[in-house]
Amino acid sequence: MDFAFTREQRMFKKEIIRFAKKEIVPRVQEHDLKEAFDFESFRKLGEFGILGLHFPEEYGGSGADVVTTVMAGEALGEAGVDGGLTLAYGAHSFLCADTIFRHANEAQRKKYVPKLASGELIGCMGLTEPDAGSDVASMKTTAEKKGDQYVLNGSKIFITNGPIADICVIYAKTDPEQKHAGISAFIVEKGTKGFSAGAPLIKMGVRTSQTSELFFNNCEIPAENLLGTEGEGFNMSMQTVEWDRSALLSPFVGAAKYMLSNCADYAKKREQFGRPIGKFQATKHKLANIRIFAEAAQSLAYKIAWCKDQGRPLNHLEAAIAKLFVGDWSMGPANDAMCLFGGYGFCHEYNMERIFRDSRLAPIGGGTSDIQKMIISKLI
Amino acid sequence: MNYDFSENELALFADVWEKITGLAAAGELEKRDPPVNAQNLRKVLEILAHTPYLHLGIGHDAGFSGHLTLMGAMEVLAAASPSVYLSVEASTRIFGRAVSQWGSSGQKQQWLTPLLNGKMIGALAISEASLNIENAPLTTHGERQGDAVIINGAKQYVINAPIADWIAVAGVLEGEHALFLIEKSASGLIIGPALQTPGYEGAPISGLTIENTRIPAAQVLLAKDRADMPAAIRMWENQILLGASLGLSKTAFEEARDYAKSHQSGGKPIIAYQEVGFKLAEMLTLFQTSQLLAYRTAWTIETAPREAAELMLCAKVFCAESAEQICSAAMQILGGSGYISGNRVERAFRCAKYAQIAGTSTEIARVQIGDAALGYRN
Repeated sequence: MDFAFTREQRMFKKEIIRFAKKEIVPRVQEHDLKEAFDFESFRKLGEFGILGLHFPEEYGGSGADVVTTVMAGEALGEAGVDGGLTLAYGAHSFLCADTIFRHANEAQRKKYVPKLASGELIGCMGLTEPDAGSDVASMKTTAEKKGDQYVLNGSKIFITNGPIADICVIYAKTDPEQKHAGISAFIVEKGTKGFSAGAPLIKMGVRTSQTSELFFNNCEIPAENLLGTEGEGFNMSMQTVEWDRSALLSPFVGAAKYMLSNCADYAKKREQFGRPIGKFQATKHKLANIRIFAEAAQSLAYKIAWCKDQGRPLNHLEAAIAKLFVGDWSMGPANDAMCLFGGYGFCHEYNMERIFRDSRLAPIGGGTSDIQKMIISKLI
Repeated sequence: MNYDFSENELALFADVWEKITGLAAAGELEKRDPPVNAQNLRKVLEILAHTPYLHLGIGHDAGFSGHLTLMGAMEVLAAASPSVYLSVEASTRIFGRAVSQWGSSGQKQQWLTPLLNGKMIGALAISEASLNIENAPLTTHGERQGDAVIINGAKQYVINAPIADWIAVAGVLEGEHALFLIEKSASGLIIGPALQTPGYEGAPISGLTIENTRIPAAQVLLAKDRADMPAAIRMWENQILLGASLGLSKTAFEEARDYAKSHQSGGKPIIAYQEVGFKLAEMLTLFQTSQLLAYRTAWTIETAPREAAELMLCAKVFCAESAEQICSAAMQILGGSGYISGNRVERAFRCAKYAQIAGTSTEIARVQIGDAALGYRN
């Protein structure tokens, strides 16, 4: 075993933190309050190379390995970038762009991936439906082949980047009689007739990410927009789980480190009863809980990433464990951080209430904690 | 980066497991009976002496990385027999490591060689009734008289004290921390009765007093380079308790999983019920997260020792508290049969609490982790 990051990886992480603190973090509070997507920050993520980090250079990326890519997510969280922007980045780069990169034909790859990597285009992925969450096979959205087109009908919900996406990877049933084997994946461009996005949903946290329903009403797309072949959609969606359990979890690990640093700074300055609150054991206890969570969670995400780098098939048991742990066990530290700040922690200015709200998504998004427990209990 | 143990390491773990589970099967290793415990421990040490186990983390053995391999092996031995594990580790990784770390070549020859050959049982006594959060002050002390040192003091909760051939007693000599190596038959060394404990019954623990015990100066270990001897010993204790927590978690999870798959209720195995299946999912999540954190801590000891102290405290708190939760959940899954004395889950449940109390207690650990975050500690 060897848990070491390379010198280049460590330096790159520092660079990202420096960049994010300067270019993105100063804009977070304003956008979180407005529940507004920060297009400028997103563009800067693209310019810095984060959006396309793991794609080959010929597709506008840097050819980074998965561990480095996961590290980028951790660095953003550690710098203080909000969960909304990191979620938008995750949905864009991994759920959408990576799926296109892996399964589209060469012409489509060249058409979409470089622009997604740069941030010129924004991507989303539509899988979840009002009556088909983790029970994907129950999806009702259909794609019927008519000549050289597919006609999509149905709706999606809780789609990150939905209202702002230029490119969508949409899962639909090409064979409604089949369960998982009847699901296929398609590229749908914004502006396609019959395709529309609902208004952004008002959310408790990750408020700078824009989440909405997507509607397909006799939406006609070229047959070439089918990714791979019919019936492969479910397996494609499962491939994104590797990213979901690593790159999308790592910002939460980073956020814990951000909380630890900020809480320690505050505890040293804030005085009560004639001494800094950091001198009280109860304060140290909270700091310890945050640190322990960060240390415990870190290796889970990187192990998934390292296995992917080795070309191993996803270990669904370990993936579910990583998701369950980061989801359920991040709640305590986020609460501790907010409480450590007292009344200020409840106020927007000090960021802890935002992180608390953002953290609440971890046990819900991408498969709830109960779903992870269901997976784990079946696999053991 | 590499998240896999090597084939050699896995083979070692399997070897340790196979050799010790056979002995442990009848439960005799877990009964409180110091004379029998001593016999059992000598038998186990002799077996382990034929593997690299005893050398791990003390002197690097060919093909093994030391602390990291040790952590994996500790987990296996602790799962096979918690009591034997605790005794082996107190002897080898505490007493033995102290000699290895602070002993001269002559001292190593005298104590470490037989220890690593499985021919000697050691113990190390550090805890005193008045010790504070910083492990100070130690009231046990020695006074030089010519070539000899006269020792006086009292110690509590010394693992292996009733069965050890040699005991390293932590104290102060001329204002510096020192370890006094005292043979069991030494005049003035009074070993207390084996204490009644809820778990680890097969690992005798007792207090001891030292009254004007005279030892040659050659039986004194002094910290080199003004090293913080008590802090180092606490670190070693914490490492042992990490391994114990992993082993107990492994036992409890696996027993509960197997029971939940085989025990039927309402016409189906109880694992099919979410109340049970989800509990097992949480247990495995805690267990696997504990493993990764413990392994990374062990790796850090090898690669970046300065960073290891805080990480060790984090791991110790997490793994110890997780073990207690896992064992409690396991007993719940086993129901009435889990509550009957003598089964592995019930035993693990009784043992698990110890790791939160011994070494650096979880409360003190949290204070120290917090202090580090605040920059209050170096």
